[in-house]
Amino acid sequence: MPAPEVHHLFHAPIADHSFSADRSTLAVARDNNVELYHRSGNAFKLQDELRGHDKTITGVDIAPRSGRIVTCSQDRNAYVWEPSQNGEWKPTLVLLRINRAATGVRWCPNETKFAVGSGARIIAVCYFEEENDWWVSKHIKKPIRSTVTSVAWHPNSVLLAAGSTDGHARVFSSFVKGIDERPEPCVWGERLPFNTVCGEYLNPTAGWVHDVAFSPSGDALAFCSHDSSVTIVYPSGPEQPPQAVISIATQLLPFASLLWSSETEVVAAGYDCGVYRLSGDANGWQLTGSLEEKKERPGMPEQREESALNMFRSMDLKGRSGGAAMDDTKLKTVHQNSINTVRAFQESGGQIRKISTGGVDGRVVVWDV
Amino acid sequence: MADFNWRTINIDALDPESAYNFDLSTLTPTVQPTSTQDVQTLNGQIRQLLRGGNAEGALRGGLENVPYGADEQGKVDRICLYLPAFPGPPHDVDNRMSQSNPPNRDVALTATHIQIRGSELCDTLMKYLYKGMGQGSNTAAHPSGNTGAGGRNLTPQATGGFTQASGRNFGGGEGGMSVFLSWHEKLVEMVGPGSIVRVMSDRRTV
Repeated sequence: MPAPEVHHLFHAPIADHSFSADRSTLAVARDNNVELYHRSGNAFKLQDELRGHDKTITGVDIAPRSGRIVTCSQDRNAYVWEPSQNGEWKPTLVLLRINRAATGVRWCPNETKFAVGSGARIIAVCYFEEENDWWVSKHIKKPIRSTVTSVAWHPNSVLLAAGSTDGHARVFSSFVKGIDERPEPCVWGERLPFNTVCGEYLNPTAGWVHDVAFSPSGDALAFCSHDSSVTIVYPSGPEQPPQAVISIATQLLPFASLLWSSETEVVAAGYDCGVYRLSGDANGWQLTGSLEEKKERPGMPEQREESALNMFRSMDLKGRSGGAAMDDTKLKTVHQNSINTVRAFQESGGQIRKISTGGVDGRVVVWDV
Repeated sequence: MADFNWRTINIDALDPESAYNFDLSTLTPTVQPTSTQDVQTLNGQIRQLLRGGNAEGALRGGLENVPYGADEQGKVDRICLYLPAFPGPPHDVDNRMSQSNPPNRDVALTATHIQIRGSELCDTLMKYLYKGMGQGSNTAAHPSGNTGAGGRNLTPQATGGFTQASGRNFGGGEGGMSVFLSWHEKLVEMVGPGSIVRVMSDRRTV
């Protein structure tokens, strides 16, 4: 498969990243600001910087159709940035009414609401109220027992999945009267007032849940947790036990983020600095491999003649007698530090063809799936 | 009223939302409460298997019936049972002799034993290893027993019938720790760092 496209933007961690709809703009969270990069040729150049937050930004999301950017940060605020005619971005403060840091934010698929997870054991679902010309938040509180680490939307824009450090992944209804259309009945439930819990799942070890995602059709839920496992849930109906809850314990370090690339495949990445694939269906899932090719390191030559001269020379110069094969200052994976977010980059025919990953090493890499 | 010092009120205790009133034990997953009695019975059965030389069966029995719900004493009993068992059938030799055990013998034993594992059992074995390694440092540092750790005292009385083997220092001596480490190495080769992460993050402790 073609080599991944690596963009080494800077030497600082990227907490979250997001591409615009045409993939020409990349918004990257860097400390207290969001940096906007514009694609020129094969590389991304810094174009703009969104300043406004006082503390580290933990979430960035660009709405595909309207182009609005929402950011949330540890200063307990969220801003919605609107693009204006002259290229300036106008921020609007959103009152989340939380008293702890916000941990992540995502726009819903129809872009009328966004959900912010926080350390205050609350999910704030925010929508725009026309009369007041203001973004208003509604809280989902029960039965969350600890920090919400991640939020993910169902394709119908009403159901919201949230992973939390109390070890549970839950599915809530965030139906807001006046903003949302009544959703079609689905496997998660029918009449769904705000804050209904449609499902609550945990895996046997109850480790922290790092990320949750709905399948493209919305009929299954995947979550990865800190005990190095990925759990897939197939619900059968409202108020009924699920059809299948499949937990895959991996031999790798935990995953921090995952994404469904099709109904039967999940792409996950995390503390191993690599991207991995899992595939299966309601009968069973397994880890099928890594997205990276098995080779020493990109660009390293194959076996080199190890002459005695070279060996002693490197012992003198570098203090080790190995030579090329023992150069262990770089990791064998493309990312040199753990990966924080995995996002969809390109989709065709109901399947995701390319994904983008952003990590603690300051790189954003686009992979072919 | 004037003699009541308002500044001593613990406002956090009165706030139902505060972290003070958040009972962390509600976050732990539910485990079957196992009485110490049941654990003792099972320990007895395992002891029989060990005496009969069936180390593999004994290990499997211990891995499949994990005393998650038992209280501390039950768990300590279980791990004390296993510590002499790890290098193989119990010998009636003391600490110094165990150090001179040919290392390949231990390793061969571990390799055979490890072949029969399933992933869940491997995680449990890893938990026992870490608990054993942890117990060693307790006895080494506080030979008189550490009241801060709940008064756990790994003296022979915990294992009853194993007076011969328990003449050895449980994992505190160099012989014990190297055995744990060799088992650990083999287990990690098999199941990878995922198993270690699972041990660290699992709220059900053994």
